[in-house]
Amino acid sequence: MANVEAEAVDFEPEEDDLMDEDIGDGSASSPNRGANAPRLKSAITGGLSSSAPKKTKGRGFRGEASTEAERNARMSGRFDSLDSDGGPGPERSIEGWIVLVSGVHEEAQEDDLQNAFGEFGEIKNLHLNLDRRTGFVKGYALIEYENFEEAQKAISEMDGTELLTQSITVDWAFSKGPFRRRNMRRRSPRGHRSRSPRRRF
Amino acid sequence: MAGMEENDEFYLRYYVGHKGKFGHEFLEFEFRPDGKLRYANNSNYKNDTMIRKEVFVTPSVLKECRRIVSDSEIMKEDDNNWPEPDRVGRQELEIVMGNEHISFTTSKIGSLMDVQTSKDPEGLRIFYYLVQDLKCFVFSLISLHFKIKPI
Repeated sequence: MANVEAEAVDFEPEEDDLMDEDIGDGSASSPNRGANAPRLKSAITGGLSSSAPKKTKGRGFRGEASTEAERNARMSGRFDSLDSDGGPGPERSIEGWIVLVSGVHEEAQEDDLQNAFGEFGEIKNLHLNLDRRTGFVKGYALIEYENFEEAQKAISEMDGTELLTQSITVDWAFSKGPFRRRNMRRRSPRGHRSRSPRRRF
Repeated sequence: MAGMEENDEFYLRYYVGHKGKFGHEFLEFEFRPDGKLRYANNSNYKNDTMIRKEVFVTPSVLKECRRIVSDSEIMKEDDNNWPEPDRVGRQELEIVMGNEHISFTTSKIGSLMDVQTSKDPEGLRIFYYLVQDLKCFVFSLISLHFKIKPI
């Protein structure tokens, strides 16, 4: 298992995966499953696997071993990150706190965001990116505040409000740790899953 | 299962690179299902340092990324008739969304002219703009978080 482990990255099974989990070889348990970070099987290994539950498409599934080995080499090095305790909650960025606004109207201007979000604190940085094809706003904005409190206030007061007739969502952009696995582990289907063998696809 | 369901699996990886006189130069990023965003950029030109950064993003960021992908309708396309990767370069776009998994490869696309003259201009155009929109999103996230210029 270990060498498969090193190269393949798997997902949480979906609901439809759960149905056929019990069909497995019955080997007792997969207690460590929850301890691993969620991983995705590389396309190149994934496509040829007969048990792949997904509809696959593309030349990337042709499975050139050299391509895959190269990719593993590329992604196996050390990645820098800011110091973080890995716990829950928002993560501070190097110079402040970043907030994501989504649902931004395609004709919004920077001034519209300045006016709406400037009242919670000085906006140190504002990225209002454009759709490369249409030239209109892509639909999101990233805003940097210097202090946690400013960002927190912007989120709690602006999330779910309207900006230029569109409802916006406002949330932290960065998190101290993974979100999915933590939630999954606490959910009841875990008990059901634990009977089945560790699934590879 | 609808493609936009919050709890659907989502994974995205993009790679562009080539091997030339400065070695293997590439840019790659991925969004993992647990929120981990990884970014790697290796340019051997002038300074040969590899930039590798990773940070966890919130579900909201992943959702926005998924929206961008979903709106593009890239999952309906196929790379069958796209230019094959060549000596000039290679691009890879791998996405898992709902129960679909695509892994497209093609050559580098210099300009819209390359798109126009290809055998699948409609599909390649979608790819071309989606890649730019994704890069733009990732560059903003990485540069705001780490205060580096991604390229």
